Amino acid sequence: MRIGDVPHYLRDTLLRLFPHRAPTGLYRIGSPDRSSPVLLTGNFTLTVRRLRDVLNGFDAWLLVANSNGINVWCAAGGGHLTHHDVISVLRTSGIADCVDHRELMLPQLAATGVERRPIEDATGWSTLWGPARLEDLPAVLRRGGSVRGRERTATFPLRERIEMAWIWIPTMALVLGSLSLLIDGWLAMVAVVTSLVVAVMGLFACIPRVPITGGVRWVTFFAAALLGAAIGGAVLVSFGARTAPGQVVVILSSVLGMVILSVDITGTTPLYPGSVNSRGGTPDITLDVERCSGAADCVQVCPSAVLRLAENPARAVIAAPGACIACAACIVQCPEDALTFTYPDGRMVEPATIRRTRLNLIGDRTVQVST
Amino acid sequence: MASYFFMRLLESSAHRYDRGMRLLSRGRIDRVYEAVAERAASPGRRILDIGCGTGAVALACAARGADVTAIDINAEMLEVARSKDVATLHGGRVEWLELGLAEIEDRFGPGSFDGITACLLLSELSADEQSYLLSVASSRLAPGGDLVLADEVVPASWHARLLYRLLRLPQAIAASLVARTTTRPVADLVEQVVDAGFVDVTEERILTDLTVVHGRCPLEAA
Repeated sequence: MRIGDVPHYLRDTLLRLFPHRAPTGLYRIGSPDRSSPVLLTGNFTLTVRRLRDVLNGFDAWLLVANSNGINVWCAAGGGHLTHHDVISVLRTSGIADCVDHRELMLPQLAATGVERRPIEDATGWSTLWGPARLEDLPAVLRRGGSVRGRERTATFPLRERIEMAWIWIPTMALVLGSLSLLIDGWLAMVAVVTSLVVAVMGLFACIPRVPITGGVRWVTFFAAALLGAAIGGAVLVSFGARTAPGQVVVILSSVLGMVILSVDITGTTPLYPGSVNSRGGTPDITLDVERCSGAADCVQVCPSAVLRLAENPARAVIAAPGACIACAACIVQCPEDALTFTYPDGRMVEPATIRRTRLNLIGDRTVQVST
Repeated sequence: MASYFFMRLLESSAHRYDRGMRLLSRGRIDRVYEAVAERAASPGRRILDIGCGTGAVALACAARGADVTAIDINAEMLEVARSKDVATLHGGRVEWLELGLAEIEDRFGPGSFDGITACLLLSELSADEQSYLLSVASSRLAPGGDLVLADEVVPASWHARLLYRLLRLPQAIAASLVARTTTRPVADLVEQVVDAGFVDVTEERILTDLTVVHGRCPLEAA
């Protein structure tokens, strides 16, 4: 990371709830020539800078497509990064005049929104999926673009968990901190903000060892609220404020903070299905084996190693259904429409609906399966 | 994958788009839609509306009897557009297509349209895409065809600019909260249209910060 980039990294990390737009178009990484690889990403500033950092020492062309300043995974899931955006940057950036080949590496996590085939049909460029994590990109590029199985799986190491805690903290701190300031003055505000920082970061640090799904998640949230209240209380006491109002404000803020977090903390991890986009329960992934042609697109795009390819005949297999995070990438990419989401009560989401609306409240867009 | 708040942010807010735009434009957006349609549409003319969104310009053109092809890359916006009342089209019609700007060349041949409109689209595009739009428009318009672009611009006089900036921030925040929608000003719109080879280029400001630029494709095809 360059020193001059530090303020930008801080802004993008602390205010990552909001879009940050990088200019779209063609970027040069190193000194690319006519045979250098062509990679594509969205125009979230943090991603563009991280890609540039991780590709230091490589020569490549980078196409930055318009994802409305949102990261690739969320943009694709929300319908802000689709094949239309990819076709647009391929056609308008002039990349075709810069290289002799026609091969484009797409970010794997864009598979929930970016359909490969319309890109290939419209532009003649062939596409391949890159790794799930940009940290694996150097190894993949050294191998000429081949992605190994484990590089397709999204992980959530401690550093990223701590970073992701900050998607919640600034907004919560702003709302609850301001209320505390109004109710009991600046010391209560400092105590509340400190307690939120510690409780939220503590909770994210413990994922996935502590449960954040199912009924038992309330024990986790209660424990985190308790931790927050204790820290906030300690701040008050250390400044000599032992009176009731401040302590009550801190306790209430901790509880309220955890209630807010419980709405969709799972959705800010790559490990669980988000709860907001699947109203009415989490859908199960189902495979119509008769339709499957063994194209294996699903296996290549699944970030949770749910699917694998069986041989003789080549057919997809749902090997680890419990690991499915309902991102819908496999459904969007399946050329045979062999995969669907099905809810326990028999409703289903059709592939065409997901391709049209992405993950936007897919629970509202179900149809009853006829039996 | 996405928190509640993030999902709000991401949710294509097609159903709130119209409300957001009215808020952002302080109620003037309908005047812009009408001004665009007035310049581009008349009975029987073939109109392409690029980035049609929820369909206001396309429907205003169809209401003048035009044969409109309306394209957008957002399927949910098109869903809202299709659901709008089309009882008053007076013989005009609209075909809604999920198609991007860069895919027009795949679908329509040279000279396919008598009028091309794009309302609040250029400000969403990169410089590369803006020049692509102008070149695709000049090739897909029949000789003498009309290009009508409406977009936000920064006011010319300093006091109007100051007022614009003061009013814009709270408006942009409100519209962003309501509809995840915002617009950004475009620079040198008239110059861009002239440079792309259009003739008889005129500009009308609607108040100070919204502009409608109208150019014609030269009669002898460039």
